[in-house]
Amino acid sequence: MASRVLARPPAFRSVGRSLLLTLPIALWSLLMFTPSFREPGRDRHIGSLAVILFMTTLFFLMMRTGKTYQWRRWFFVALGLLFPVGFIASLVAVRGTMSIPVERMVSGDTPFCYMVIPMLFIPAALARTIIFPGSILPTANNPHSIAIMIGIWLAMTLVVGKGWCSYVCFFGGIEEGFAAIPKRARIGRSVRKLDPRLRLVPWAILLFVVVLSAALFEPVYCMWLCPFKTVTEYPAVHSVETALQMGIFITLFAGLVIVLPFLTKKRTQCAYFCPFGAFQSIFNKINLFEIRFDREKCVDCTLCQTACPIMALSAESIREGKTLMNCMKCGACVDSCKKSAAVWHLKGTKVALKPERARLLFLYGAWAMATMFGGSILANSIATMLHWLPVK
Amino acid sequence: MVVVPISTGAGEALLLGLATGPVCLASCGPVVLPWMLVQPRGVRVQARQLSIFLAARLSGYLLFAATVWLAGSVIPRSWSGRSWLFGGVQVLLAVGLLVYAAGWPHTRCSFADSSADGSSRLVQIDEPPRSHRSRSHRSGAVTLGFLTGISVCPPFLVAGVRAAQLGSLADALLFFAVFFFGTAVWFAPFVSLGVVRRSSSFVTVARMVAVLLACWYAFAGGSVLIERAIYG
Repeated sequence: MASRVLARPPAFRSVGRSLLLTLPIALWSLLMFTPSFREPGRDRHIGSLAVILFMTTLFFLMMRTGKTYQWRRWFFVALGLLFPVGFIASLVAVRGTMSIPVERMVSGDTPFCYMVIPMLFIPAALARTIIFPGSILPTANNPHSIAIMIGIWLAMTLVVGKGWCSYVCFFGGIEEGFAAIPKRARIGRSVRKLDPRLRLVPWAILLFVVVLSAALFEPVYCMWLCPFKTVTEYPAVHSVETALQMGIFITLFAGLVIVLPFLTKKRTQCAYFCPFGAFQSIFNKINLFEIRFDREKCVDCTLCQTACPIMALSAESIREGKTLMNCMKCGACVDSCKKSAAVWHLKGTKVALKPERARLLFLYGAWAMATMFGGSILANSIATMLHWLPVK
Repeated sequence: MVVVPISTGAGEALLLGLATGPVCLASCGPVVLPWMLVQPRGVRVQARQLSIFLAARLSGYLLFAATVWLAGSVIPRSWSGRSWLFGGVQVLLAVGLLVYAAGWPHTRCSFADSSADGSSRLVQIDEPPRSHRSRSHRSGAVTLGFLTGISVCPPFLVAGVRAAQLGSLADALLFFAVFFFGTAVWFAPFVSLGVVRRSSSFVTVARMVAVLLACWYAFAGGSVLIERAIYG
């Protein structure tokens, strides 16, 4: 009987109420994807329909069960796994290769990646130069222009802060997927015992790439350190230098995105390497939403600390009732807390006063953004896969 | 060779310095920034360290100006020693950053220590005596300032070309000194780092950056030297 109760916990909300709360997201999804039904192509229609159903269902389940992390993870892992599929397919279709030919760089046809954003500011201020081989405005060859991507980044950052890393980033889903494969962490205990100062490494890499990019007038992170070049696009290998770059990309990807997440069940690249994550942490300071701990309920069991995928909790921060600055608002700690001490919180209100209201407000914004940005990537990737599949 | 009168040369040097200052700032920034961040808090302290750094940089400039003028010719882009100098300075900068900014003289290993939440500490940074600390900071500023002063960045090369065209050694030195003041103006904002609150995390990050930059300079300088050694 006990195991049955554990296997089927009581629903958090009634079906009717959950449906009602899901209605705005369903309407938003329809609004986002209705235009694609006017375009020709059955594959595209199927992709859009699948995404509408997928995103709406997941949101409904969030409302129904009161859990955030596990349902968000379905979306996020799907995004991480399908983004390279669509992206690589379009690169191969347009260029015939994943590598970036020099003439494409010169003509500004490189799709803009948000990882570059922190490196742009100093050269733009000092020399009025954008150190990225892309175009400011969309062109026929490159719709992913710098202005559009910066606009999307800014809007989403204002809404979700560092929640970007768990609702928007199409790279994070890859390692979250690998972290989700094993049932138990092989070396989880060792990771928790790591020197806490290692959490500062992303900040150091951020500062390093920002100053060096200004000195060299090139996006150093993209040129030398980005693990995700392995599954997106990279400079064509034609010299020792480019071979070395490729070696670094593959090593970092294999180590930080595949092997370590698999062994630790943590997002190791996000926790210990990603400079863009550190950059996004700054915006947590101005974002309205955060996770807090009700100290009256907390029993210091550290379940939340174990659950956190990016080590954004320390014993000290929990004692203070807060997360560390790098919290990405994935909801893992809240879902894992058996005493309901970890709560969603709207800044300026009393902690644990109406945590579900704060969660709802955050999720509406975050899920709407996720549907708009990640959803369109998913729809595109599904359409691409259907297009390439031999069976129609 | 066209000889430029110093009356026009000084104005040109100042303008050249002011105009190329952002490039100087960007190229010296990777060295200055982590160095300044590991210094104690306070505008006066930072201003003093920056002044020492800039004075050492000026001495590097003047040494270079004298060398250029005494060599009796301009330094063209094809100057054979340029890559040796460039590579050598990069490697020395790497060593300097590692030694001074990473606080190597005052670091001891302590694997037995534990932090508040039970994590082992890999390295414990000791607080050195005040006199020892300030001496070390001064020598760091002097070393790094001098090395950035003789590193052959593009604006520096332009100034070198013009200095070699001047009539006397004194004129060449004056040209470089004025050029230096033009570029130095751009470094003033670094003093504002003195108001940034220093926590242990902050200093740790600055030291990590210094180590990363040292690796980069070692790689950049080392690859130039290796290339030079192989291909001549």
